[in-house]
Amino acid sequence: MKTTFKKENNQLIMAFFGRLDTAAAVQTEKDMQVLYDCDGCDIVLDCDQLEYISSSGLRLFLGLLKVAKPKGSRVCISGLSNDLRQVFNMTGFTNLFEIV
Amino acid sequence: MIRSNYIIFAHDMSKSEEKRQQDIRSSLILPNDVQEVPRLAEFVDAACEAAGFDMSTTMQMNLAIEEAVVNVMDYAYPPGTKGDVCIEAVAGDNGLVITITDNGTPFDPTTRGEVDTTLPAEQRSIGGLGIMLMRRYMDSTEYKREGDRNILTLTKKRTN
Repeated sequence: MKTTFKKENNQLIMAFFGRLDTAAAVQTEKDMQVLYDCDGCDIVLDCDQLEYISSSGLRLFLGLLKVAKPKGSRVCISGLSNDLRQVFNMTGFTNLFEIV
Repeated sequence: MIRSNYIIFAHDMSKSEEKRQQDIRSSLILPNDVQEVPRLAEFVDAACEAAGFDMSTTMQMNLAIEEAVVNVMDYAYPPGTKGDVCIEAVAGDNGLVITITDNGTPFDPTTRGEVDTTLPAEQRSIGGLGIMLMRRYMDSTEYKREGDRNILTLTKKRTN
């Protein structure tokens, strides 16, 4: 599991690579700290190269939304595979995030 | 020439059919440390391949089984104490049967309430998603307490 981060056109973009399982969630939470510190600018979680996510990873996404939304940030999730989209549907996450 | 190829092909098919009829059993014992989850994933991938599952089903099984095992790792034993979780897989013609056993606190994940997935973000709680995913992706989930052991049996039928 790996993440990359960039700031572009006043958007914070984090890309996720590989398997976001419970073991990987510990480091990924630290990686995502830079997103938690957002001050109202929009956030994109690029999941094009994300192969797998378990509830530990979903918790990180929800935790970020709870922090970012009250600050006025939009949180978008892009590039979900069909399998992962089903997980997001099943958990109701497709209603919480902007899925692009 | 074509005929001979055909015969070889047919012979291989019958061999693989014979192989399919036997259940393939495997087991894995892990300590209650979530950093061991990648070893669980390897084990589940192998069991799913033996069961003839496609990639989507294999991903779903990884998710369901990870949630069940992590739940044991996180909550079965008092904080700071070591304990094991045993995972057994039986892959056969009908699909996959996974049995997860621990010696921890009695806990029945099959009776946990569903998460309300229609709530807005502010009201969504962080917990409960894992067990919900486990129950949704499995065809059946059964729990029993035997002596001092929790025994959780997860079943997924083969559909293809």
